[in-house]
Amino acid sequence: MTPIVRRSLAWPAVVAALTLATLAGAGSAAALAVGGVGAVAVVAYHLWHLWRIAAWAAGPPDARVPDGYGVWGPLLTLIHRRVRARNVYEQDLRNVIARFEAAASAMPDGVVVLDAADRIEVANPRAQALLGLDAAHDRGQPIVNLVRQPGFLAYLEAGDFGDVALVPSGREPARMLALQLVPFAAGRKLLMARDVTEREAVARMRREFIANVSHELKTPLTVIAGFIETLQDLELDPAQRARFLGLMREQAHNMQRLVADLLTLSALESEDHPLVDEEVDVAALLRAAADEAKLLSRGQHAVDVDAGPAAIVHGSHDELASAYGNLVSNAIRYTPSGGRVALSWRIGPDGTGVLAVADTGIGIAAEYLPRLAERFYRVDRSRSRATGGTGLGLAIVKHVALRHGGELAIESERGRGSTFAIRLPASRVVPAASVTSSAAPRGTAA
Amino acid sequence: MTEHTNKQFDAEMEAIRSGVLSMGGVVEQQLMRATAALEKEDDAGLIDAVGADEIAINRLQVAIDQQCAQIIARRQPTAVDLRMILTVSKIVNDLERIGDEVKKIARKAVETYGSARLAQVRIYDAAKTLGTTMTMLRLALDAFARLDVVAAADVIDRDAAVDAAFASILRQLVSYMMEDPRTITPALEIVFIAKSIERIGDHAKNIAEAVVQVVKGKDVRHATADEIRAEIAQP
Repeated sequence: MTPIVRRSLAWPAVVAALTLATLAGAGSAAALAVGGVGAVAVVAYHLWHLWRIAAWAAGPPDARVPDGYGVWGPLLTLIHRRVRARNVYEQDLRNVIARFEAAASAMPDGVVVLDAADRIEVANPRAQALLGLDAAHDRGQPIVNLVRQPGFLAYLEAGDFGDVALVPSGREPARMLALQLVPFAAGRKLLMARDVTEREAVARMRREFIANVSHELKTPLTVIAGFIETLQDLELDPAQRARFLGLMREQAHNMQRLVADLLTLSALESEDHPLVDEEVDVAALLRAAADEAKLLSRGQHAVDVDAGPAAIVHGSHDELASAYGNLVSNAIRYTPSGGRVALSWRIGPDGTGVLAVADTGIGIAAEYLPRLAERFYRVDRSRSRATGGTGLGLAIVKHVALRHGGELAIESERGRGSTFAIRLPASRVVPAASVTSSAAPRGTAA
Repeated sequence: MTEHTNKQFDAEMEAIRSGVLSMGGVVEQQLMRATAALEKEDDAGLIDAVGADEIAINRLQVAIDQQCAQIIARRQPTAVDLRMILTVSKIVNDLERIGDEVKKIARKAVETYGSARLAQVRIYDAAKTLGTTMTMLRLALDAFARLDVVAAADVIDRDAAVDAAFASILRQLVSYMMEDPRTITPALEIVFIAKSIERIGDHAKNIAEAVVQVVKGKDVRHATADEIRAEIAQP
């Protein structure tokens, strides 16, 4: 017998003993009275506890377990302990769920839990934003009713969830979403949604770039391979031979230039290649560019140099020289012989330095200007290649200008000529003392 | 009816609802592609895709209509269920018409791009308005999925903006045509495009009205926006 059972029998035993004692001492009437009163007292004592427990059980869930007396005391203490243990356990579980929900909300990806019939059960805030769901109202809604992109539907029906479905966002068609289903317990699925717009754009650019590079490299190779075959198969006279070899050398040069430009671009773009801070003498830079221009022109163009105020530019000498050289060689190549190419340096009233090349060449129609500095963008493909362009020159110039905190400015009019200018921010331009400005070299050469 | 047939009936009703929405998804995709075709330079791939979408839409229309007819014949639905089926077949019709209009827009866009620079400027407005109708259609279909009358009323309100944009495109085109008769041909093409866009807005509005009707059991096709709001406010 447990102590509680023993104790519960104590009072009835006392009453029974008293009754028996009265019966022996005072007769049956008195014994009946004592036994009756005792029994009523015991029953009343139990009933009182019973009602209190009933009131507690029917009350609010967090109500205190009532205190008890006698045999009820330890019993109610036991119940109280159990209730408390259960409360602690429940609180733990609640914390686990809260942590899980907080983790789900903090996920950078959208997460939707789907039931066995692909209905929405739970969606984290990111999923609601990406997919236009409303977790409060959309519980139980088939996911395909709200995520209606045919691409997703096909993916869901195909049932191959190793892959992802790439679909445009319903709310902003320009954004691309990657949706992936992950099956888990009992036919349920997790729908993960990620915004992959940027990643897709980068991937597309890379694809286009590789396609372009391959094409640009293939063209000269085709020419060279063709001539090699001809030279192998045919007996040619020395004059023809020399001509073919000359053409081959030209194509090989083109390829070399292209590869050199690609290497320059990749160096400009790589992050472990910070901009060096040198003091670049603009006048010397201009002189060197003018010499190069005259060399390229072979006397066919008038080359003007307006060195402007003497100044020092903080930046990379090699990069600026190569960028400006690109602009100068473009000007020569796109200006018919007899034209004029003007190299100039100016410092604006706000301190910005402008390194410009103006030509009287063929010019560019306005609609082509915005895309001009894109890699491999050419207004006229055949002309560009015929004059030995790689299609990367302006991309390099733009990169160099951006690296120096400046920009590439283009003004052009069809048939009238163009002005390409590298604008450098005032912070990089240090004008020399005004004395030197008048002594700056100023020359014109034909 | 036994519980089993009830369940099956519910499943069939759910299937036609999801069917309409998946058809809506194809129309949304087609609209998206047509907008891209208007915004970019003519892209033959996009135009082909718009045409393929239109074929898929027509096929879905036939399939869903057939499902509706079968449910009516086999189950003789009443009250709410009958109303839902009638609404579904109305929405399917509107979706199919949107598909037709989108295809027209895509075709005209190709022709217009060939012609003039004027077109590109005006087409920009048209593409923007087409974007508005795309939002309307998305909201209308969402409202149907959720049977949300408030959202449906919002769609009905938006149609006014599309109508206003149509009127404004028309006014601008008229002034261009008066200035320079050479712009008349491309301007007329753009008028057709704008008209199609305006029709898409109307069809999206019809879908939203059908949602109000299926939920409230009241025909609001010729009601004003305020009347519709009053209707929705009633419990």
